[in-house]
Amino acid sequence: MRSRVAARLLSGLILAACVTASTLAADIVKLRPVAALYSDGKGSALRKPEGVACDGKGGLVVADTGNARLVRFTLAAETAASAGEIVTAGGGEIVLGQLPYPIRVQVSSGGEIFALDGKLRKIARLSPSGEFKGYVDLLAAGVQSTAIPRSFKLAPDGTLYVLDIYGARVLVLGTDGKLLRQIAFPEKRVFFSDLAVGADGTVFLLDSVGKRVYTAARDSAAATPLPDSLKEDLGFPTAMTADERGRLFVVDENGGGIVILGQDGSYRGRQSGLGWKEGFLRYPGQLCLDGKGTLFVADRENNRIQVFMTGR
Amino acid sequence: MLLLAALPAGTLAAASGENPFHLKPGAKGASCLTCHEAFRDTLALPFVHTPVKSGECSRCHDPHASAHGKLLSADENAICFQCHGGIVPAGARSIHTVVVEGNCVKCHDPHGAKNKNNLIQAGNAVCFGCHKEIAEAVAANSFKHNPVEKGCVTCHDPHAGAKSDFLLKKSQPMLCLDCHKSGQPAFQRQHMNYPVAKAQCTSCHDPHGSKNRGILWSSVHSPVVNKMCSQCHLESSSPNALKTRKAGFDLCRGCHSDTVSEMFAKNRLHWPVADQRSCLNCHNPHASKQKALLAQPEKQLCGSCHSDTLVRQAKSLTKHPPADEGNCEACHSPHASDNGFLLVNAKTIELCGTCHDWQKHSTHPIGEKIIDKRNKNLALDCTSCHRAHGSEFKYFATYDPKAELCTQCHEEYRR
Repeated sequence: MRSRVAARLLSGLILAACVTASTLAADIVKLRPVAALYSDGKGSALRKPEGVACDGKGGLVVADTGNARLVRFTLAAETAASAGEIVTAGGGEIVLGQLPYPIRVQVSSGGEIFALDGKLRKIARLSPSGEFKGYVDLLAAGVQSTAIPRSFKLAPDGTLYVLDIYGARVLVLGTDGKLLRQIAFPEKRVFFSDLAVGADGTVFLLDSVGKRVYTAARDSAAATPLPDSLKEDLGFPTAMTADERGRLFVVDENGGGIVILGQDGSYRGRQSGLGWKEGFLRYPGQLCLDGKGTLFVADRENNRIQVFMTGR
Repeated sequence: MLLLAALPAGTLAAASGENPFHLKPGAKGASCLTCHEAFRDTLALPFVHTPVKSGECSRCHDPHASAHGKLLSADENAICFQCHGGIVPAGARSIHTVVVEGNCVKCHDPHGAKNKNNLIQAGNAVCFGCHKEIAEAVAANSFKHNPVEKGCVTCHDPHAGAKSDFLLKKSQPMLCLDCHKSGQPAFQRQHMNYPVAKAQCTSCHDPHGSKNRGILWSSVHSPVVNKMCSQCHLESSSPNALKTRKAGFDLCRGCHSDTVSEMFAKNRLHWPVADQRSCLNCHNPHASKQKALLAQPEKQLCGSCHSDTLVRQAKSLTKHPPADEGNCEACHSPHASDNGFLLVNAKTIELCGTCHDWQKHSTHPIGEKIIDKRNKNLALDCTSCHRAHGSEFKYFATYDPKAELCTQCHEEYRR
């Protein structure tokens, strides 16, 4: 009798351990460098690119900040692991007087391009062909007071999330451009540099100085910190994106690395590092995932976009 | 039982811990004095430590042997707490560093002293032994603050601040209001009738004294000097008088329009300028000890956000003087710039060349025409090999100069 109970207990413990291990293993991500983009289609080199956006349909838009332009690429259906033949076409540039210093970029499901200009501190809207359609008008959207966007994200459903550091809030705008709700910054935060939006509408806020991630559930008006402080793991994080599983990919700008956090915000590993050669990063900016396991990073001080395959 | 009854009473007392060294009755300190005769002078001092006075040298010292210096029966940084365990209140907001370190003898003589509480020096002298900068400032002040003249312990608890920072006995403004009655007409007049009793007094005043009337900090914002509080704040009669007329940089733009406009015209803005606190992230709007009304010395101020950089600097094998000395503005513009890292010069070689005559020190080709072998989109400049805020290698090289640095590019020489 006792031996049967003991055996059941033991097998239960083994099963629990296996489940935990597989859960942890599911969150472990390895980044394998496969390629880098150095220039546009005409061979004109990228210069201090700070932004990159994947449209999920094989398109890539780069905010080539130092050259005051956007550059578009079309990605190969399958990423060639060895030759770096990830781009089949494109490298066409978009140069606009209304966008003198693009630093962040997003692409909607309809192909519209949204770009945050660092000098004007406005979000420009462009048609799929790159034609300037106007700036996101926060006043018209119903935002009552001054707003200065530090970053923004476009959810797959077209909802726009703007990180307004002057108003100390996240502004959530619907597809009609109207203000849906605001998420107030928590009192204890130090300085938010970026935000990410999970597939379920959860908003994640990145505190660069406090080295912490805050989260606000869908439809929530307040953000709370995730349990783990990241002071030991991050030097100066400034950009973040979420994958379809809710894992967060955080750029450690000064450390030249990418830190991966689990769905609960716990540390799951650090990839890449400071360097000049391919596979290494120097003061990276925005990053994006194409939904097929490919990660693109704006490798700012290396004047290129680095491409990594994610895997276990 | 019979055996126990046969033992002398003193032996039983030893077993209870009162006389752990089995000293003969009446021995105690007297037996120590037979060798340590000079100690009699200590016993004659006006303030003698209680166990010393009662001859209980063995309260602190093991008379036979010890694993600690001076035959102390416990670590010298812990022994005082055996009796004085409550000296630091639980959950104290601030604790004096010497107390944290258990370095009680920095201030107290463990045997006896001429000064109350066995202090090794009298009055403020014991504090000024470490706090030399404050001592010099206090001595040079034209306008003294009375509590400082009376003694540092007027405001500070020398061991810990139970509920306040800086070892203060109370937080401000409550501490200040103990002496300065905010309801007095003279007080209200001096503060332009603003309800400053709700504010932080040290936003304007140096609590240790100053060269300025009103013991204002050395660098004072013009509206404060001219008593034009309403230039920034609502009228004093307003229910929210301390609230500013505008928020953030919009307020400062009223007088500093050129500076603010120039900032916002640049490609890259130092982002804290644009947040809710804006200019107040770095500047004290009233008065400060630092130039340009900075809230702290530059190194601490910049390091409060860029702590990772400061840590790297501190660990760096070779120090870069402008970074190490906190002269961040030597290379960076604190507000805005058209250049990456808010550098004051777009060209790294020119920027470094401001101090370093690289043409003499380096024969390695650098410049726009020299392409970095590691990355075709880069030209070689100083940062190709050096990391300006420091590294683990000599001359803050990015890789080990003895091995990997050169072979990063010159791979044919790699061993």
